[in-house]
Amino acid sequence: MAAGFGFPSADLASPDTLVLVHMVSIGWLSTAMCGALLQFVPVLVSRPLFAENWALPALVLLTAGLIALLCGFLALGGHLPLWLWLLPLGACLLIAGFGLIAADVVLTVQSAKSLDASARFVLVGMASLCVTVALGATFASQLAGYGGAAIDSVLESGVPLHAIAGLGGWLTLTAMGVSYRLLAMFMLSPDVDERQSRVTLFVGALTLCVAVVGGLVAIEAASGLGAVLLWAGVFGLATIALYGRDVIELYRKRKRRQLELNTQMAAYGFLSLLVAAVLGAVLAATGSFAPYAGAFAFLIAFGWLSGLVLAKLHKIVAFLTWLEAYGPVMGRAPMPRVQELVVEARAKKWFGAYFAAVWVATALLLAGEGTLFRVAALAMAVATGGIIHEFVRTRRLTDVAEPLRLPNGVTEPCLLHAR
Amino acid sequence: MTDCIDLDVRPILRAGNEPFSAIMAALAQLAPGQGLRLYAPFKPVPLFAVMAEKGFAYAERELDRGEWEVLFTPEARPASSAPPPAQPFDDWPEPKITLDNRDLDPPEPMVKILGAAEQLGPGETLSALLCREPVFLFPQLEKRGFRWLGGFTPDGSTYELTVRAPA
Repeated sequence: MAAGFGFPSADLASPDTLVLVHMVSIGWLSTAMCGALLQFVPVLVSRPLFAENWALPALVLLTAGLIALLCGFLALGGHLPLWLWLLPLGACLLIAGFGLIAADVVLTVQSAKSLDASARFVLVGMASLCVTVALGATFASQLAGYGGAAIDSVLESGVPLHAIAGLGGWLTLTAMGVSYRLLAMFMLSPDVDERQSRVTLFVGALTLCVAVVGGLVAIEAASGLGAVLLWAGVFGLATIALYGRDVIELYRKRKRRQLELNTQMAAYGFLSLLVAAVLGAVLAATGSFAPYAGAFAFLIAFGWLSGLVLAKLHKIVAFLTWLEAYGPVMGRAPMPRVQELVVEARAKKWFGAYFAAVWVATALLLAGEGTLFRVAALAMAVATGGIIHEFVRTRRLTDVAEPLRLPNGVTEPCLLHAR
Repeated sequence: MTDCIDLDVRPILRAGNEPFSAIMAALAQLAPGQGLRLYAPFKPVPLFAVMAEKGFAYAERELDRGEWEVLFTPEARPASSAPPPAQPFDDWPEPKITLDNRDLDPPEPMVKILGAAEQLGPGETLSALLCREPVFLFPQLEKRGFRWLGGFTPDGSTYELTVRAPA
């Protein structure tokens, strides 16, 4: 984005933008979310993962599928020879990869006796993932020339449905579900009342049903998506309002008075979601949503989803590293506390810079300032680099003071995988 | 139909007491081939492994309000071929250490329990009260050869855990 590739330099529907969008939504957000689910679903349902060893094949399939898909889009944009078969190939690999993850998660959840709110959200998220992938695969084969006239109309006007199912259903509903449990765990809050979160989920699922089912029916009937998207927008706003009520309750009823960095920064993610909701509503009310859809999606992807994932990773990386490194000597030798693996004050600056850059970039997109936007995107890249550097330091136990750092029997963890 | 003894530990747990001695006393009374039908206010998962080691198969059934009925039946053959020397589960002594970790921030409860567990002599036990199921503690206990039994009190507010050091 900083280099001016894709939106906003190119059109929102251009192949270059498709490269960018899928790199972010699959390469970053979906992969991070899949990893989070494999780690977290067993905790949610108190059952071991159905198949521990599906994770690596899934990662390989997703990565290969993404590369093929991106190359296909690059070919579509004229950057590569016109190897359009790459698109359906990528789609098949992605179906296999996401299929493995979805099967693993669903079979794990299914083995549980009772489901809590988070697990239900995850299941709806999984259904949305399947819808997203199915629509995406349809588009991919169509772009490669394998589609018939019947589905041409789906490609013509169905892209918003694919985006809503992906960003709204799969990523947002899953993130919401996981956040219920993570916030309760990290802030020592009582769980949100089951009936209350069920209403939130019901309205969220309804939003998706209206958008996807209604959208497909409207496309079939050639009646235009306007009314469907309006209703989906209304239900979407209601979902965010209900979720906001639940989150505020989690923060208010917390027992941990002093907020840790991860929950402070997560609040900026929630704020981004709120601002995106208001922005979307205002744009829709003034009839100018279409020209600003890019800015809206940008704020959802980078302010809300990326912001929340980065904030939570700050805690999760530290905790899992701590458990991995010091678990064997716990109670046998002096060891650091989890908080000593991170330097919150330093990380806070990078997070602050990240959110500021995202919000400025969104404003610049709304103002149509393409060149200045690239500067803000560069700032985002630098801040993200800073945050990643903090994670690397945590993995390497760099910030743990001697002599606690490596007591007898403790070895430095590997950077990318747990021993 | 297997002949079996019924044991209801729900009142014991409701009164805030440990059910182990009752379970073990019942086990000691079993005639060869006899089973044990247990009623508990939660699914006694940790007990399954212990009972499997002692040569019992189990069949569980959920009752109303999250309560469980578990039927333990003796298996025809000894369960494990390389058992740790049969650790009679029936002589779990009174806890040597008791901890109330309900007001500690995670992961302090886990650190405290493992620290206390290291103080136990062979076969001794500790008991701890927690406000959440310590899911990350169990693998650590397992690696160190400790056994444990735990569950929520009927009102769901407190998790009671008993840990026993390897003999």
